[in-house]
Amino acid sequence: MADTVIRFKDFGFQYKVQQKPTLYDINLEIHKGEKVLILGGSGSGKSTLANCINGLIPFSYEGTITGSVEVNGHETKGSSIYKLSKEVGTVLQDSDAQFVGLSVAEDIAFAMENECIPRSQMVPIVEEHAATVGMQDFLKAVPFDLSGGQKQKVGIAGVLGSNVDILIFDEPLAALDPRMGEMAIELIDQLAQDKERTIVIIEHRLEDVLHRRVDRVILMSEGRIVADTTPDEILKGTLLQQYGIREPLYITAMKYAGCSLEGNDGLSSIDNMVFSNESREKLLRFFESQVESHEPHLGEELVAVKDVSFSYDDSRKVLEDVSFTIHKGERIAVVGRNGAGKSTAAKLICGICRPNKGSITIDGKDAKGLSIKEIGERVGYVMQNPNQMIVKDTIKNEVEYALTLRNMPRDQIIARATDALNACSLFPMRNWPVDTVSYGQKKRITVASILVLQPDVIILDEPSAGQDYRSYTEIMKFLDVLNKEYGKTIVFITHDMHLALENTDRAIVFTDGRLLKDDRTFAVLADNDTIEKANLKQTSLYRLAQRLGLEPERVIRHFIDYENYRSREKGNAKDEEFEGKELEDVEAEDSKEGGQA
Amino acid sequence: MNNRFLINFTPGSTMMHKLTGGTKVLLFVLFTIAIIATFDVRVIAVLSILPIAAIISMKPNYKPIRFMIGFMVLVVGIIGSLMLLLVSPNAGLTNVGGSTVIWRLGENFFVTKETLWYIFAMFVKRLASFMVVIAFVLATTPSEFASGLAFLHVPYKVCTIVSLAYRTIPDIARRYTDIKNSMQMRGVELSKKASLGKRLKATAALLVPLVVSSFGKVEVIANAMDLRGFGRLKKRTWYSEHELTKADKVLRKLCILFTIGIVAYIVWFRVINPWPVTYWSPFIAREDIVKVGRFETLSILKWFGK
Repeated sequence: MADTVIRFKDFGFQYKVQQKPTLYDINLEIHKGEKVLILGGSGSGKSTLANCINGLIPFSYEGTITGSVEVNGHETKGSSIYKLSKEVGTVLQDSDAQFVGLSVAEDIAFAMENECIPRSQMVPIVEEHAATVGMQDFLKAVPFDLSGGQKQKVGIAGVLGSNVDILIFDEPLAALDPRMGEMAIELIDQLAQDKERTIVIIEHRLEDVLHRRVDRVILMSEGRIVADTTPDEILKGTLLQQYGIREPLYITAMKYAGCSLEGNDGLSSIDNMVFSNESREKLLRFFESQVESHEPHLGEELVAVKDVSFSYDDSRKVLEDVSFTIHKGERIAVVGRNGAGKSTAAKLICGICRPNKGSITIDGKDAKGLSIKEIGERVGYVMQNPNQMIVKDTIKNEVEYALTLRNMPRDQIIARATDALNACSLFPMRNWPVDTVSYGQKKRITVASILVLQPDVIILDEPSAGQDYRSYTEIMKFLDVLNKEYGKTIVFITHDMHLALENTDRAIVFTDGRLLKDDRTFAVLADNDTIEKANLKQTSLYRLAQRLGLEPERVIRHFIDYENYRSREKGNAKDEEFEGKELEDVEAEDSKEGGQA
Repeated sequence: MNNRFLINFTPGSTMMHKLTGGTKVLLFVLFTIAIIATFDVRVIAVLSILPIAAIISMKPNYKPIRFMIGFMVLVVGIIGSLMLLLVSPNAGLTNVGGSTVIWRLGENFFVTKETLWYIFAMFVKRLASFMVVIAFVLATTPSEFASGLAFLHVPYKVCTIVSLAYRTIPDIARRYTDIKNSMQMRGVELSKKASLGKRLKATAALLVPLVVSSFGKVEVIANAMDLRGFGRLKKRTWYSEHELTKADKVLRKLCILFTIGIVAYIVWFRVINPWPVTYWSPFIAREDIVKVGRFETLSILKWFGK
């Protein structure tokens, strides 16, 4: 067995500001050269665990430590954050905030600057590390011109700068589009090839991390380690569902097909798995079977975008000749890589930007004559980060804000706000101060504060960003209710393919300012050409279809139909579960972890 | 990015751009001190040759520069001068040392040759320091600015704040626009349809989410810096402070001479043998200068006093 580089022994930690400990009885050994995934939802304590390794605890966050944690044989308490920074490199979740330099080279050099290393020695090291992450041609680039993925690469190069042998990646996928996420995982794997290096990945997106092999998965929940095992083993068990971690889609499909997961070798990789005969047969039979297909019915036309072109300045067209329509009651995903024009399309619909050419009609009226405020009554826009929308102190005041601004009579305000609060399951907590609720709940507050205006269309920007599977499912269920029971049109701007697949009927794909495809979601995801052009990522169902020699579109469609069928079957049971969520205990950790996204 | 304005983040390729941050900041400080120290238009004219040559040598985009100079001429030059003429028409007496009336309108409003000269000299002085600023801003990237300040022995934590500010201001500006847009959709009226008071109040409300989301960032940035060893040692090196170019070496030597020159000038012309009034003028000989206290020429006092 290789040397132990990180050793937790009966370790516990309680933040100074909190009532109860965040970590309990942690016993964990990580060995040199290992690649370990720490898995868990928000508030599970996984980020806290990482902060105990890199020294942010106890040196930046005060609190009480019990037991011991050793890094490279030294108790961290007796060390300092600076000494530890030479042994442990941390790539933070927010790669934008981590980027402190004003150019790529400067940011990579930051740790060396602090070590007082002369510039002549820095330059070759910076070049070497930039080359390791593939950023050697961007040394002079400024942060404002880099994509999220590029910033993250620089972040990685920046911690390599101090020649550390332990690397911690705190939610490396949080801010990246699917293709970039895939590349980040590949890059991390490449770094892991060096057997002197130990890698710890903190994530809740199991399937995406499993794009490349990991040695061990440590599952955390409520401050405890609940499993410490191989990826294959964890996929076989029921722990993932129990602790609210999304299992890979192909595993779900295998479960739907009634496969026993036991006999399949290499379960953690869809590419390398050896199917047992039994599984293969059951899967083939499952995908041959018939389920009632879900055809969305189209309501009246609400928004029509016709031949619209737009550019912020004269030089570069952000959108060119784009046309599409949105109907009542639809669920639409607007997908495409960063900068493809999807957010601009939303801004045009909302009237924040106005088209240079072409027309936008909202409810039959030309949007040209409508102010942002007037459009806001028909089309609601929910920003990605709820902290950027909330202005009032209590939930009720926040939700009523838009109506108060319109000087509506008090009784009418109360009636409308009550409806919106109920729709978002916020009514029982309406008098709570806004800053005590979790990230997921804040997101619901922002939706409610849009809902009071009774718009027909709700546009949500990256609804899944910065959230774990549990709070994400909660939001999706609630939006589904808004769609089905209140007939609201829901538009997601997203690059989360899971989200698009499971929650929308139609996908509009943008690439380089043009509308590439506008079709049923499963058809878009089964179209390899579109996926590649739009920098999207195949879901593992696509690979599963290929491995089985089936047609991907059929497999994806069948999967979705089967899920819809299941959720219809469950019907009422699901509603009850949803109702029960609202009074859930709120952990401060929860909002904190989510808030960093 | 449309809010970068004049600031360039990537160094250019001319000789001026290639100087180290240290040299640029040093030149900036020395020129600024020199221009503040002298009230002699002839000296200022000589001092502005170098900054103007520097600006031209950098082949900049003149559009924003023209705009700023235009703004300067309008506000400081025209509006400022008119105000001065109105408030203190006899300022030339205090500052230049004479009162030759060339045009008069009533008792309290008149124009003197000396006041005109005073206005002209003051404007030249401001324009010159403005040229120094433009040359400096055009030549220096924010990181060179930070490392240059460190070269002048400013504590490095202060220098880092400077570069962090440049790093985050564009982000904050973008976040502000996002918040503003989303608030407008909810019905906050920020266009001219609402009264100024209402608009101010609404804008103040926008600051809440802006500050909250920015504070969240501060913690993350601080952690990111701690984790990479910021603040451990008393000193740090700067990647952006590259090796000295030939021009650097020459200019730094000249800076020593320049410093001696400035000190000598201040000691001689401002301490040992000072000009009796603030500004030198071509048309009054030293012996003919009339010395009058500063407040006696302020006609605004006359309006209220007598």
